Amino acid sequence: MRIRKAMLVFRKDWLEIRRNWQVILPIVVIPFMVSVLLPVLLMSIPNLANIPGTSSGGLEVMIQNLPKHIQDELLGMTDQQVMVYIMSLYFFAPFFLVIPLMASSVIASDSFAGEKERKTIEALLATPISDSELFLGKIMVSFIPSMMVTVVSFVIYSTVVDLVALTVFNGRLLLPNLVWILLIFGLAPTLALASIGLTVMISAKVKGFREAQQISVILLVPILALVFGQVTGAIIFGPLVVAALIGLFAIVDLAVFQIGLKVFKREKILSKLA
Amino acid sequence: MSVIEVEGLTKSFGSLTAADHLSFEVEEGEVFGLLGPNGAGKTTTVRMLACLISASEGSARVGGYDIAQDSLRVREIVGILTENPSLYERLTAYENMDFFAEAYGLSDVSEKRNRIRELLQFFELWDRRNDKAATFSKGMKQKLAVARALVHKPPILFLDEPTSGLDPESSKEVRDLMERLSRREKHTILLCTHRLEDAEKLCSRVMIIDRGKSVIVGTPDELRDKIAGQPILEVTLKKLNQKIVEAVRELNHVLEVNVDDSASKLIVTLDDVQSVTPDVVKNIVHAGGMVLSVNTLRPSLEEAYLKLVKEG
Repeated sequence: MRIRKAMLVFRKDWLEIRRNWQVILPIVVIPFMVSVLLPVLLMSIPNLANIPGTSSGGLEVMIQNLPKHIQDELLGMTDQQVMVYIMSLYFFAPFFLVIPLMASSVIASDSFAGEKERKTIEALLATPISDSELFLGKIMVSFIPSMMVTVVSFVIYSTVVDLVALTVFNGRLLLPNLVWILLIFGLAPTLALASIGLTVMISAKVKGFREAQQISVILLVPILALVFGQVTGAIIFGPLVVAALIGLFAIVDLAVFQIGLKVFKREKILSKLA
Repeated sequence: MSVIEVEGLTKSFGSLTAADHLSFEVEEGEVFGLLGPNGAGKTTTVRMLACLISASEGSARVGGYDIAQDSLRVREIVGILTENPSLYERLTAYENMDFFAEAYGLSDVSEKRNRIRELLQFFELWDRRNDKAATFSKGMKQKLAVARALVHKPPILFLDEPTSGLDPESSKEVRDLMERLSRREKHTILLCTHRLEDAEKLCSRVMIIDRGKSVIVGTPDELRDKIAGQPILEVTLKKLNQKIVEAVRELNHVLEVNVDDSASKLIVTLDDVQSVTPDVVKNIVHAGGMVLSVNTLRPSLEEAYLKLVKEG
């Protein structure tokens, strides 16, 4: 495999994507919502907590569902501090797995299905770029921008959370911590790669961009289950859980890549031309 | 020397046989036409030869490389103009050319720039090089697609309907370019077309295919002769009379004589036009006729083609 050829595919696709608002809009809006709107909501919580008549009963129920070691971390904190701590460090964490998945699913769906729809695929497949180089190039063009968006979102989110924490925790900073570093630089990329590999495979088999995107959205379901699990306290992202998930998805990545290389054939892509 | 050798090439999609045991050879520098109506199997054949799809049966060698074993090598030496222009519309003309130049292995920056400039200037697109392909007219897109197919100076070109969507002037430019590429630069061209004008003007040999099968292969002249019979002789005289008609009829090899009195014309069917024409003229003159013109009327390739496809 010639990496230079895969990079060439990446560069060409990136040039195209940058000029396609249908792709750019979702990969900018969703991270903005997660990294800016959620912390803004977070900042308003201390004020809400001070509103007369507001009950802290709901918070107590949530705390009761948390594992013992997290409950210990909360000892001695005020209601306001508990709320900011739990929300910013635990409840919002799975949303940062949704960012790379959403961004990559939009780009990856566009990769082959979009080329088929725009009837550019035949000239691309006629070039002496091998199937594996094309597959890698298409994966890179989904992976690199989505990870860039994820890391930038994380930096913005951390800044906002720490700005809040500075006042609520009297100068103590909450982010980054080990779990979040593992989450952003370990779990997010491995999860994104698995999703991209599958989406590119789907994209190569269907006729159009929308069809590919609709199918690839199904891949978000397990991640939404993680979000739900985290909110209900069923799954809490501790360093061990995140490390285990990284290991699991690394294996899935290898399997997806191997399968992708085997099933990714020019002829099959061309036979699905609209 | 045969640059393209095709032997029993077949492609089936389920119960449909798009190309059915096609066999032909194309010599170096030749423009070989695949002529047939829509759905005849032309594009499928080109896709197999360009290693975009695999053959169900049969074999082919392109530039000496086996299409089943050396697909990457085949793709390196072939320039292809696909059925659609296949351009990246959000990229500029230059960016399109740049991507394909590198994809085909032109990595030297100055060589690549010079080649792109040369082609875009030739097709009069240089001034529009920084405009997105989406802003181009159909004809300009087709020109850009032809330029892209030539970017790596391929010795073999597969051109699928190259003049489709072009105005007469642009069509002529593309035809002139193909002629130059074939005659002067020894490019071998496989031309898919349903435009008989292109086949007649450009191709040294033509294969007519219909419903996946090869119907006939030959030069455009041979096809006309085989399909529509021998040419007919048309003699225009100053004045026509019965004596002249009889003088022609009595000749050997004259199969039929028709008279057009109003135009003073004799329409003579011969079994060998080339050798008998001088005798016809001689007899007319001996009978006192004054010959104004002698024309050999051939059926057009279009007539021959339509006859063949209808019969098929």
